[in-house]
Amino acid sequence: MVRKLFLVLAAAASALAINGAAWADFTVLVPSSSEGDGLRAAAADYSKMKGTKVEIVQAPYANVFEQGANAGATKSGVFDIILMDDPWIPFFAENGHLEDLTPFFKKAGLEGPDTDFLSKSLAICRNPYNTGPYVCLPYVGNAQMFFYDAAKYKEAGVDAPKTWDDVLKASQTLTKDGGGRYFGYVFRGGQGNPVVADFMPIFWSYGANMFNEDRTKVTIDTPEGAAAMKTFMALRDVSPKGIESYNANEVGTALAAGTAASSINWPNWVATFEDPSQSKMVGKISYSPIPAGTKPGSSEIGHWTMGIMSASKNKQEAFDFMLWATSPEQIKISAERGNPPVRTSVFTDPELTKQEKFRHYPVLMEAIQASTPRPRHPKWPEIENAFGIELSKVVAGTITPEEALKNSQTAVEEITGLK
Amino acid sequence: MLRPDKGMPTASLRLGGALEHWTERHLRYLMLAPTMLILLALTIFPSFYMFYAAVHRISPNPDLPWEFVGAGNFARLLTDAQFHVALRNTVVFTIVAVTFEFLLGLGLALLLDKFIRRLTFLKTVLMIPMMLPPIAVAITWKIIYEPQFGVLNEIMFRLGLPLQAWAGDVNLAMFSIIVADVWQWTPFIFLLMLAGLASLPVEPYEAAALDGASSWRQFWDLTLPFLKPVIAIALLLRVMDALRLFDLVFILTGGGPADRTKVLSLYIYQVAYRFADPGYAAAISLFVLFVTILLSTWFMKRMRLAE
Amino acid sequence: MATIRTRSRGREMLLRLSAYLTILVALILTLFPVYWIAANSFKFDIDIFAVPPEWLPRNPTLKHYDEAFIQRPFLRYALNSLLVAVGTTIISVGFGAMAGYALARFSYPWQWRKQISFWILSTRMMPPIVSIIPLYLFFNYFDMLNTKSALIIAYTAFNLPFATWMMKSYFQDLPVELEEAAIVDGDTRWGAFLHVALPLARPGLAATAIFCLIISWNEFLLSLIITLTEQSQTLPIGIAGRVTQYKTYWGEISAAGFMACVPIVIFAFIVQKHLVRGLSLGAVKG
Repeated sequence: MVRKLFLVLAAAASALAINGAAWADFTVLVPSSSEGDGLRAAAADYSKMKGTKVEIVQAPYANVFEQGANAGATKSGVFDIILMDDPWIPFFAENGHLEDLTPFFKKAGLEGPDTDFLSKSLAICRNPYNTGPYVCLPYVGNAQMFFYDAAKYKEAGVDAPKTWDDVLKASQTLTKDGGGRYFGYVFRGGQGNPVVADFMPIFWSYGANMFNEDRTKVTIDTPEGAAAMKTFMALRDVSPKGIESYNANEVGTALAAGTAASSINWPNWVATFEDPSQSKMVGKISYSPIPAGTKPGSSEIGHWTMGIMSASKNKQEAFDFMLWATSPEQIKISAERGNPPVRTSVFTDPELTKQEKFRHYPVLMEAIQASTPRPRHPKWPEIENAFGIELSKVVAGTITPEEALKNSQTAVEEITGLK
Repeated sequence: MLRPDKGMPTASLRLGGALEHWTERHLRYLMLAPTMLILLALTIFPSFYMFYAAVHRISPNPDLPWEFVGAGNFARLLTDAQFHVALRNTVVFTIVAVTFEFLLGLGLALLLDKFIRRLTFLKTVLMIPMMLPPIAVAITWKIIYEPQFGVLNEIMFRLGLPLQAWAGDVNLAMFSIIVADVWQWTPFIFLLMLAGLASLPVEPYEAAALDGASSWRQFWDLTLPFLKPVIAIALLLRVMDALRLFDLVFILTGGGPADRTKVLSLYIYQVAYRFADPGYAAAISLFVLFVTILLSTWFMKRMRLAE
Repeated sequence: MATIRTRSRGREMLLRLSAYLTILVALILTLFPVYWIAANSFKFDIDIFAVPPEWLPRNPTLKHYDEAFIQRPFLRYALNSLLVAVGTTIISVGFGAMAGYALARFSYPWQWRKQISFWILSTRMMPPIVSIIPLYLFFNYFDMLNTKSALIIAYTAFNLPFATWMMKSYFQDLPVELEEAAIVDGDTRWGAFLHVALPLARPGLAATAIFCLIISWNEFLLSLIITLTEQSQTLPIGIAGRVTQYKTYWGEISAAGFMACVPIVIFAFIVQKHLVRGLSLGAVKG
């Protein structure tokens, strides 16, 4: 028995020795959701074609940022490419974790990315926004859309909702008639990223913004902010109990299960709504751009972009891969795998648009062109957290809307050092 | 206690060689060495790092030098409202959850001891929750608590009670986390108490019964003192675990709504990885470590567990 | 327990009835959530969200098992978890037994024994979150991020203190005479440990092993930070990864979560008689 134990010990020791990581030619960090799956499939194609071994590292969504930041801060070079959610770009770029792509374009004989990319998709890839050098390339063209059950809206006397007032009018009727089991509107109220993501488009459609143009002043506690907050509160009152913990999943499920009539959500849900094994609402959900407030509606952009980590030792290989993966042919393949494109040619490709599952493409393209990025600041994760706490509190009703605006203003001023 | 120094015929009987002799003479250190070395490497290095990091401001930019800030990070603890919220939530969670687990576990053990002692299979079935991955437990409860299609609200509906948002409700969120934790860990206390009860001596009870002592008196004067060491261990382990609660909150609520379930582990995690501020995270960590060790030491001294 | 004195047959019956009723309620409360995750794993997504809930899957499907274990690398995650848990357990129990024996049997100068025992236990009080940043740097420095060995080392650090304490309490309960007899018969001290004490402490080894296995099979936080690819990611990380930014894949999560419980529960039944001691730091003789 004892001899056996030590034999096993020895075996364990040798097992330790053999599990060293077999690192590939280069490594890409991606989230473990559909965009990660898409890039993983693309990488497999690339490996087959070029004989380069691409290692794909998939992490849970929230963990991608943390893994990337860890690698950047320790210059560990474990990742060559990182697939970033666009609000993270300033953090990575301004802390020296991302490589400036200009020299690589030059070397390839290019001015920069071609003009087939949507202009808004390219704008977020430059830091500072739209003016600085390129630090990444767009890969997945996410932007929020407004989803609604047209039949139910019609029942409530609203044909095609154009403004938040239309949405409110229909939702109030529907919720009242729903008897606590059906609701006119539903949104992500979960503390942090979720509630902020669903508040921002309302915020913008009333002309409010977190910072002024040149990022020198915090402008949350303003009349525009108060107007947005008022609509937000009215929407909360017609939403189900429990939205305080809702994320995109719960919101999508509520629509797919037919327990709510409208919401803001990401285009990835289109496929789910049209799949009979996952949805009771096949063919019944309509899509539109974000409704208007006092200003035209603007959806929040949520692109996934590829950048090269500064500590990478395989930058040229990484750049070649990025250029290949964002080429028109590849973006089309990626679209067929379920990730929204970032190129005009793919958005308008009749081969795609004639298919039922891509019928939202015109609306989505419009949404991207009218989109706004989340406030660009290297401390965005911390800002989002602080703002998210105040919004969560106001959704839960533990503070008043006025307090929420005031507290957010102070918190963001403190984090950014702008007084 | 064996004393190898005195009158123990040791290796000299079997002189296998100088090496064996040396090994035999230093055996008491050699056998301790691997454990000590591993623990030293994996605790001393982190501790030094923590102390060093805690007095610096560390930029997420690796090219910027660490800026010495002295006690600055610790001073922040005094004014950081989020830290105070997290600390309060952790304390509330620990006290309420462990108290419930203890009372339920002990009560059930007292009630069922006689009936369940030989039902080993049943006992093991009741132990299942504490063996499950906390992540699976968190996800299970998330489905149960779901306000729209969750089972719990269905039961409320059938009973004619008002539907609740559970983990999504400001006032019920912490309660929901506690329920999930109590579900997972009451079996642990129950198991320990059963084992403790099984090892009680019989004679004192016979004597007490002859004296006509009531069941209550017997419980108070005999059972409780006998169980004291088991209770102490159970509470110590549960409190230490409750103080580091992470998985349940991470999955069930993410600290919301309205910061009502933000606990220290989660906050440290956010500060370190979301806000990329490892210096301040180190300061909070040291605070937690200090409190945990202080608490445990006091507790162990009091319960005389060190020997 | 002998405290409850029976006054009458009726009272006895009532007590018995209420006890069995309590056991029944406890069983239902204990098992329902486990049943629910199992039931959900066999339902189509749309049926998981059915209102009112489907108590039994009406259209049972193995779809989610296919998604998790064929299309996604959950088998790989499970294998990683197993390797890491077994590796950790062997090392912790091996070294823990040695250290526990030393602390139980030998004397040390200047009261070291007591100091060392306490120090060893106190290392377990460090919440994992506290040591994660330095551990990350540590493994990064040695180029060991994303390896199973890094996980084994980290988990060993968290399991060794308990293992040592449990084994120490076990050896303290063993009669020393047998080892003395072996030494008189010409065995060495180390030989006495190997051939006499260790075999006698077999139940203790089993109890310690259970404890280490459960802890390392279930661990989440360290694995979240240290591992990156399916080459080393463990089951809990795989499960958490199906809570994505847009969607939570309840079906897959239920399938994987249910399968993650199965080995542990089977194992618990096999070793049930050692379970108590393993989970109580050796304080209770199970």
